Amino acid sequence: MEVNWTRKDLLSLYDLTPEEIVLILDTAEEFKKVSERNLKKVPALRGKTVVNFFVEPSTRTRVSFELAEQRLSADIINMTASSSSLQKGETLLDTVRNIEALQADLIVMRHSCAGAQNFIAKNISSGVINAGDGAHGHPTQALLDLFTIRQKKGRIAGLNVSIVGDILHSRVARSDIWGLIKLGANVTLAGPSTLVPRDFEQIGARVCHNLKDAMVGADVINLLRIQHERQRAGFFPSTSEYARFFGLNKENAKYLKPDAMIMHPGPINRDVELDSELADGPQSVILEQVTNGLAVRMAVLFLVAGCLKK
Amino acid sequence: MTEKSSYILKGGRVVDPARGIDAVMDIGVSNGRIVDPAKIKNPEIIKVKKLVVAPGFTDLHVHLRQPGNTTAETIATGTMAAAAGGFTGIVAMPNTNPPADSAGTIEYIRRHTELYGVVRVYPSGCMTKEQKGEEMAGIGSLKSAGIVAVSDDGKCIQNHELMRHVVEYSKSFGLPILDHCEDAFLKGEGVMNEGKWSTLLGMRGISSAAEELMVARDIILARMIGWKIHVQHVSAKESVELIRNARKRGIMISAEATPHHISLTDENIKKFDTNYKMNPPLRSEEDRLAVIEGLRDGTITVIATDHAPHTATDKLVEFDYAPFGIVGLETAIPVCLAELYHEKILSMSDFVAKFTVGPAEVLGMDFGTLAEGKPADITIIDTERKFCVDAAKFRSKSRNTPFHGMEFRGKAAATIVGGRFVFDEIGK
Amino acid sequence: MPAKRRLCNSRKMDEAIKGVADAIIAEFSRKSEMDFAFIGIQQRGVPFALRLIEKITRKTGFKPQFAMLDTSMYRDDIGMRATLPVIRETDIPFDMNDQAVILTDDVLSSGRTIRAALDAITCYGRPSLIRLAVVVDRGSREFPIRADYAGMNIIPEDGKKILVEFKETDGSDGIYEIDWSNPTKGE
Repeated sequence: MEVNWTRKDLLSLYDLTPEEIVLILDTAEEFKKVSERNLKKVPALRGKTVVNFFVEPSTRTRVSFELAEQRLSADIINMTASSSSLQKGETLLDTVRNIEALQADLIVMRHSCAGAQNFIAKNISSGVINAGDGAHGHPTQALLDLFTIRQKKGRIAGLNVSIVGDILHSRVARSDIWGLIKLGANVTLAGPSTLVPRDFEQIGARVCHNLKDAMVGADVINLLRIQHERQRAGFFPSTSEYARFFGLNKENAKYLKPDAMIMHPGPINRDVELDSELADGPQSVILEQVTNGLAVRMAVLFLVAGCLKK
Repeated sequence: MTEKSSYILKGGRVVDPARGIDAVMDIGVSNGRIVDPAKIKNPEIIKVKKLVVAPGFTDLHVHLRQPGNTTAETIATGTMAAAAGGFTGIVAMPNTNPPADSAGTIEYIRRHTELYGVVRVYPSGCMTKEQKGEEMAGIGSLKSAGIVAVSDDGKCIQNHELMRHVVEYSKSFGLPILDHCEDAFLKGEGVMNEGKWSTLLGMRGISSAAEELMVARDIILARMIGWKIHVQHVSAKESVELIRNARKRGIMISAEATPHHISLTDENIKKFDTNYKMNPPLRSEEDRLAVIEGLRDGTITVIATDHAPHTATDKLVEFDYAPFGIVGLETAIPVCLAELYHEKILSMSDFVAKFTVGPAEVLGMDFGTLAEGKPADITIIDTERKFCVDAAKFRSKSRNTPFHGMEFRGKAAATIVGGRFVFDEIGK
Repeated sequence: MPAKRRLCNSRKMDEAIKGVADAIIAEFSRKSEMDFAFIGIQQRGVPFALRLIEKITRKTGFKPQFAMLDTSMYRDDIGMRATLPVIRETDIPFDMNDQAVILTDDVLSSGRTIRAALDAITCYGRPSLIRLAVVVDRGSREFPIRADYAGMNIIPEDGKKILVEFKETDGSDGIYEIDWSNPTKGE
């Protein structure tokens, strides 16, 4: 039975069925080949206008989306909070309705508030793609993680995947957790108890507060960036103490299986959550994640654009 | 509105918990007071068969927004909403702009109520100047100006020593304390209940501990000082337990529950609708059931709405940026009938008591009964009437309700203040 | 389910494909060197290309190279169709530059798929020539495109469609007329 994509928005992996997630990954396989050709461009979104609206600043995600849009031949407008009327006190909804009035087909949006994209998508007819909303979700990052795991391991179901770090404030972790659980992986979350809420056990994740427990038997270990502001807010005493107990380094790497993949959503704090040599070593797939991000975003843009009622 | 000076409410089910009455009988009204029906000459007969005739309902917790934010609500629209919801009296919270921390502001509210008020408005005054939690407000002068209680609602005095003084000082003026129990640090930048759903949604949580800590503090102060502290909008299971134990020991602590905390939970927030954002936040199912149990076993003696109007502009924003609060006056009776009466948690008498005897006890006032000679403040309820909430038809200026579109069984059929019908749907 | 009427059985369909193979051999055997490759358009151009390769190899000993192409990314109607096309695999294992290629598809109708395929091919290289082979040419063209080799020509009645089924994709071979305006009872 073939799955059809019927959503004008991509807001959260929580909303998707496992079949829909697999459809995106399969579609991304074909778009990945486009980037491997001499002529890295297809006309799929020719004549479509995509607005990249980054209310919260971003570099890598925005660049990845922008390149994906260019490779699909879309027309692109980039907006930030400071280049929009939000600065002048306009509400978010008014700003987005103005974008829509310019006949924008798709809005790729990042916002520091959880659910901002859900709120917008409900109120406009243009498609909305979530490029990160607060600590709620970052679906395309999770999709590229799933894509990378599937590519390297050949499957996702049954794999042991550990996510280490500040789960509490991480949108990447939340989207990864939904995606991995829906596709049948065993998810372990690890980090200081102040940053790894036990409530995740209620949806089937294993929670531990010891890095070794998360490493032994893991097929994949995904290290999250630790934000310095969390230390200031009192979640842990110092970056060095964090690195000592929850950083992956050459010494504790012996607990990892030889074929365990090391992932990181970037940007890396080298030698804090991840040892520099390991980040550049053979087990690391960090740069492949970036490459795959492009293919996944092309697939998402293509699928969502196909469902806009015009 | 119907203008009748002498009439008999005939054949209704009179429920007057203050006098232990739940029986079919007639109620006479003459010159704004309850009288013996036999003594009225040529009365007009108003048939209220199958309707509940209860003492006027009083809401201990209403934000009228005037002075300050009259785009969201005014004394006129707020009291009209109260009448339509079946309330004959409301306690106005003092977090207006300017806050009700001076006799002048109370005078302003009283004057506007006289001119535009539809139901009785009992003003409350601030505990601290500008509700900053730093210096005590002029509580004595506020009492002279007519307040019935003190509160810093929306905020909570964090300095325990200052709180102690406020309670001691208020006691000497006979003013009960209505406290919004919340530890400011534990609340932090939270926007919803801390728990499974805040974790899954990635939203900043407000731990139940923020409420419990201050409830415990208030219990300690109420015991130490021997004065009445009323916990506003209790939301957490453990808070209910603290209050239950304190009341067993005879400590003068009381509590109110809101219609939304007994009917909704934090799971509703998964759609990011800001009409589910309130403070204290909607909590877990376990908490909801504990609050209901508190109402059932008498730990919680009051139902109050925390009617908090906000304009659509203010609410139609990112969840984090939306203000806390929902309107409640026009949905309180339908929601509470559904959760408490139709669910057989409370008898009709106990149900009525939460809106009458309960609030009267907290304020130390003698309203809330249909005894002869009392002002004719009467709430008439049709427990069976089908009612679909349509926010567009609210008398309130604001529409911020999560109950829009929901179907209920039962609502206020008429509201009588001082003998005058201020809301009347009998026979319609 | 739409009404479905069989026009050809598997034997007749095989004869049509054989006719296309023979025509291709006839054209390319006139050249100094027999060299061409097939590009099957997803989904049913793929089994068609493989059948042609099998027949040509058996008859001439020359085994043409094979690629498959999905045209979804090159279509001009994204967002205008009721359902989104599922993107299938594209695999072009040879260098397209200066290669003679034969595009294959099951049914030639409007010509839009072929236009998209031509667009796609130019992204991979510059073939020396491009031919088009189809099982059925059903007319009603919207683009100036024609088939160089067609197994048969069938003009269906208004509102009806032609469906070519292959064992590989559909379980059995056969050519059908489909009537969407007169659906029979079904799922």
